Amino acid sequence: MGGNNEKGKTWIWPGVLVGALLILPFVLSQLGRTGEYWIWVTTEMIIMALFASSLNLILGYGGMVSFGHAAFFGVGGYTVALLMKKAGVAFVPALIAAPLAAALAAAMIGWFCVRLVGLYFAILTLAFGQLLYMIVFQAYHFTGGDDGIHGIPKPGFLDPVNYYLLCLILFLGCFWLMKMIVNSSFGLSIRITRENAVRAGFIGMNVKRYQWLNFIVAGAFAGLAGGLFTELNRFAQTEFLHWSRSGDAVFACLVGGMYSLVGPAIGSTVLIFLKIVLQQFHQSLVEIWALFLGLILLCVVLFAPEGLVGLYQHKARGLLVKSEPEFT
Amino acid sequence: MPIGMDKNILRIQGLSKSFDGNSVIAGVSLDIERGELSSIIGPNGAGKTTLFNLITGYHLPDAGRIVFEGRDIVGMQPFEIVRLGIGRAFQITSIFPRLSVLDNVLAALITHRGGNLNFFTPTRKLREVHERAHQVLKDVGLSEMAQQQSGTLAHGNQKRLDIALALALEPKLLLLDEPTAGMSPEERWETVELIQDLWQRLKITMLFIEHDMDIVFKISQKVRVLCYGSLIAQGTPEEISKDRKVIEAYLGEET
Amino acid sequence: MLAEGTVPIEFFLFILLNGLSQGMVLFIVASGLSLVFGVLRVINFAHGALYMMGAFLAFSLSTLLNMTSFISFLLLMLLVPPAIGLLGLGLEIPFFRRIYSKEHLLQLLLTYAILLVLDDVCRLIWGGDIRNVPRPQVLAGSVELFGLFLPTYNVFILVVGPIIAVGLWLLLYRSRAGNLIRAAVSHPAMLGALGVNVSRVMTGTFVLGCWLAGLGGVFMSALANIDLGIGMEKIIECFAVVVIGGLGSIGGALLGSLIIGVGIAFIQLPLSRLAIVFPYIAMALILIWRPWGLFGRPER
Repeated sequence: MGGNNEKGKTWIWPGVLVGALLILPFVLSQLGRTGEYWIWVTTEMIIMALFASSLNLILGYGGMVSFGHAAFFGVGGYTVALLMKKAGVAFVPALIAAPLAAALAAAMIGWFCVRLVGLYFAILTLAFGQLLYMIVFQAYHFTGGDDGIHGIPKPGFLDPVNYYLLCLILFLGCFWLMKMIVNSSFGLSIRITRENAVRAGFIGMNVKRYQWLNFIVAGAFAGLAGGLFTELNRFAQTEFLHWSRSGDAVFACLVGGMYSLVGPAIGSTVLIFLKIVLQQFHQSLVEIWALFLGLILLCVVLFAPEGLVGLYQHKARGLLVKSEPEFT
Repeated sequence: MPIGMDKNILRIQGLSKSFDGNSVIAGVSLDIERGELSSIIGPNGAGKTTLFNLITGYHLPDAGRIVFEGRDIVGMQPFEIVRLGIGRAFQITSIFPRLSVLDNVLAALITHRGGNLNFFTPTRKLREVHERAHQVLKDVGLSEMAQQQSGTLAHGNQKRLDIALALALEPKLLLLDEPTAGMSPEERWETVELIQDLWQRLKITMLFIEHDMDIVFKISQKVRVLCYGSLIAQGTPEEISKDRKVIEAYLGEET
Repeated sequence: MLAEGTVPIEFFLFILLNGLSQGMVLFIVASGLSLVFGVLRVINFAHGALYMMGAFLAFSLSTLLNMTSFISFLLLMLLVPPAIGLLGLGLEIPFFRRIYSKEHLLQLLLTYAILLVLDDVCRLIWGGDIRNVPRPQVLAGSVELFGLFLPTYNVFILVVGPIIAVGLWLLLYRSRAGNLIRAAVSHPAMLGALGVNVSRVMTGTFVLGCWLAGLGGVFMSALANIDLGIGMEKIIECFAVVVIGGLGSIGGALLGSLIIGVGIAFIQLPLSRLAIVFPYIAMALILIWRPWGLFGRPER
């Protein structure tokens, strides 16, 4: 990984970015209503970046397409909602419970899904995602069905700026954790299941078991994102588990770059930003957001399957060969 | 007989397998002695690779027994069989293309040592594993290419990596499926020397599938001939070359 | 409406018929998906959206016609599927063709992207309201069979469905086009070597698949209410069908479709709220118990 010089260098840009992100809410809070709006938006961006990154553990590193990841986002979200609104639990314990509940859901769903590969895996994740969506939708008395759960309490000290900072710190913490996991033996094991699952078996690895564990870890991070999102909006909605939200995460990974750690976060942020920009320009354009998104995706799949990060890497190095994930 | 005392490391009895009604392996029985360096030959479609697939658990036999070191391994998953000590190198190289050569071997070593559940230590800091990895790479002659992306290696080197992945697991029995396939004559003999060297140094029982008769004759202690899924002859290279059935089987076959 | 105590035979048959009709429509759609997969080795997520477009297109057309006449309905059956087929052509040439050689991951993502686009196009054009197509007079109402009154339209579907199945079978097994398609499934390289324009065979198969999706949509538009959710609903049901019946098998698709259709119809009785999850559960169970489908073969 190079000597001290290089190591010092690789910390500059991320450091600047993190610094900027830390200062941002304070700057924005000076801008009145617009500022408030943007604090809310950037908080959402951070949470969604976490969600997309969690999926990429399965998608980019594990090589498995999951269309049902929103299920864990939703489980985390509803856990916070139910605990806080219906059981009067405080925010912190509720937030801790969110990834745990999501991990449990991922353990159950994942156990079935990893029995399958490729296409069938994708279909089953979609099916389970829809199943969970339907269950939440139908369980009116418990989850409020289509109405969702509203009016979730928010502790006083969590004003917009503080909540933003909380989300940022949690995101950075999770990012650091993911980076560690990816670089660890476990991460290497997951990567080889993507590269050549058969050979992975032939070097003595119980592939299914590791894919399952990876699924659980990814689900836990998604659950945390869901919990944070619920508290941000102070409601939980069935929409949290809808297949289109699973799709959002998939697209964020694709657009940003599946083969890197930052790619999904970048992709997610870019897409949210585009959506907002579109909305500012033309109100009705938001209605055709899916259309727009689909077109972006087509372009990405056909011309730049490694996403924005991939494009940057190729340009920066003038390479034509696919390279290994670069960890910033 | 207690495990490990049997002079036969692998015993196959009455093994049969059909695909879609076509019999590919029909009642094959053979024993591999501990420490042997032997080969399996036969015309195309004789079922040689299928035999390897059956031994390593990739396919389930329709009938028969496979006993490795006194233990019945039929029905076990490949990863379980590998852990018992059977290593395998593939005819069509099977590696982890986007990973570096070093990472390929590291993955095998970490798995071998049961360290996959380490979520925390970055792999580059596993000093001991790295040392062992470099040793393995040295054994197969790939030390210089450790940092190269394995998918970009020349074919011959990819084959060596394929073998290295099996070696890293310290197998007791190593199955090599056409280790010289697709190589130039020079590379072939290099590989043959490598195999012989590894066999002499590491004292592994080796069984390889080969088409090149010169190689077979040069290094095999024992040769087994498969034809249409049956074992038609086994013996020393000398004996095989004179065996009527073998000659008939190869008549009209281009070697 | 649920009877207390024993369920009368008429009620049972009514539900069964309803389930079978839904199953037939599902078969028409699923066979298209299965065919496309068999030849092109691509699972087209957007297939459900194409079916939905067929249904909505039928609706739009129906507002221009006098739907009491059977001729009008026939017109829908004749015009809408080719329109969807044409749309499929418009998708195959610029998009699908490019991904045949790419890794499965990207294929899945591409068809998912197309699904999203089509889904939103439907929302734009037709909005979120529930629609349906009125049944032509001759197919409305009920017909008396074996002393029972059953909805005529459902019976119609049950008659037309098998006809289409047989037609499909004839096409695949008794026509030159069918031979080409089946050859493309098993030996694509050989076909190319024989001078056949394999690309055209693939395109043709894809268009046929879309045609079937559109036809299914037409039938559904008069069978039940249609809204923006039917696309995703149908694709999941199709998946359940191919899981049960195996990919690439028309017979399996038929059996699977009928099982799913009838299953949904009957689960509606005790557990109407969970009826909608039946295909998911069925699929999940089958994928877990026999991942190669009821008719496929195990990998090892």
